[in-house]
Amino acid sequence: MYGKRASQLLKDQACCENGQFTPFNSDLFDQVISECNEHSLQLQSLIRKIEEQNLDMQTTRNEDHFGAVIHHLSLVRNKRCLMAYMYNRAEIIRGLRWKVGPVLPQEIQEKLNYSEEEYFKNHSAAIEAYMSEMDLDLTVDMVPPKDPYIRVRVLDDIGEVCLDDHSISLAKHSLHFLRRTDAEPFISQGLMEEFLE
Amino acid sequence: MSGPWSEEAEEDASSLAGTTDVELIKRAWRNEKAAPEILQFEGPLVLRVREQIQLLEETVEESTENVSNDLVVSLYQMDLDRTLFLLRSYLRIRLQKIEKYMIHISKTNLWNRLSEQEKKFTKRCTEIMEKLLEQSVLARLPYGYESFLKQSISSEEDDMVPEPQLDTFVFCKAKDAVGAFQLDDSGDEIVDLVADDLYVIRYKSIKGLVEAGQIDLV
Repeated sequence: MYGKRASQLLKDQACCENGQFTPFNSDLFDQVISECNEHSLQLQSLIRKIEEQNLDMQTTRNEDHFGAVIHHLSLVRNKRCLMAYMYNRAEIIRGLRWKVGPVLPQEIQEKLNYSEEEYFKNHSAAIEAYMSEMDLDLTVDMVPPKDPYIRVRVLDDIGEVCLDDHSISLAKHSLHFLRRTDAEPFISQGLMEEFLE
Repeated sequence: MSGPWSEEAEEDASSLAGTTDVELIKRAWRNEKAAPEILQFEGPLVLRVREQIQLLEETVEESTENVSNDLVVSLYQMDLDRTLFLLRSYLRIRLQKIEKYMIHISKTNLWNRLSEQEKKFTKRCTEIMEKLLEQSVLARLPYGYESFLKQSISSEEDDMVPEPQLDTFVFCKAKDAVGAFQLDDSGDEIVDLVADDLYVIRYKSIKGLVEAGQIDLV
């Protein structure tokens, strides 16, 4: 059935929304693309047929005309689905830049196709360009601050880090009392967690 | 756009609560957060808030060096952190709206509501988005269907541009009474907007009041 594959593509995506990210489904994607080209060929051959019969394109309402309309509409629908698929993925990818940071973990990276990896890098660079022009880091302070300082537990060996004017050693499992803005980048990278008693 | 920040206002900021720049940015932030479309950029206000942040930072630094009163320092620090959060969040919400509706914004007069830096960001975002869709979809589609803005060559206008939903409902509150206000063009529905009452109305209907600063979104 026309359009079945395209809707399947979007259904897969809709099933595991909520921030979950599926690997790029290039098989199904390519199938929809070739379906589009098939529609285009059929459409053109029907148009040629109408022309060969010397009928007026604008007023002819025979079976060939309606066949052509079906192919046109199916093609347009497929295009909308393909675009929506890419667009929604791009939206999730942009969200990752805000939530995870400029470097994506391997398991997410694997789910992107080549163009999407490029997109993430370029978009990341656009946000960074804006931030450096404004001279303000917008990726920290994602939640309203309650206390300027928080207690954190280090989850991985980070090593010596320079914060403000003094350096501290962030060894695995150690507890620290840090400024929230200093700790946030580490927390979003999964290197630290807020320590709650 | 916003109230003047005179010297006396600075001296007596507490009695003029609601007119301080921090209050104003909080208001701008709330409106921006609740409105479905992007609002006018509060350029001068952002500049003033940044100056105040810098002042606060200096104060915190001085107090840390001189006095050993930890409580005062941490109060200043808290104040600073809150202001910084408001500013960052305000700018961030705007960027995220731009990310969502970049093409719609560049095509309409919403464009004039952006700051210079935001305009640059929008242009760059659009180019990048176009490149992604071009590479993965458009370049592989047959002739007549490869437009970024139109579904096909036979579409008369751009019919593939995501737009904000303006008829979504928003919570709002008027500072001063607005009086009888017409909600739709037909004039069937009229609401008396009383000061400090909370209303739930379609954004579309009160768009003008929000832009004029007569009503605040919450």
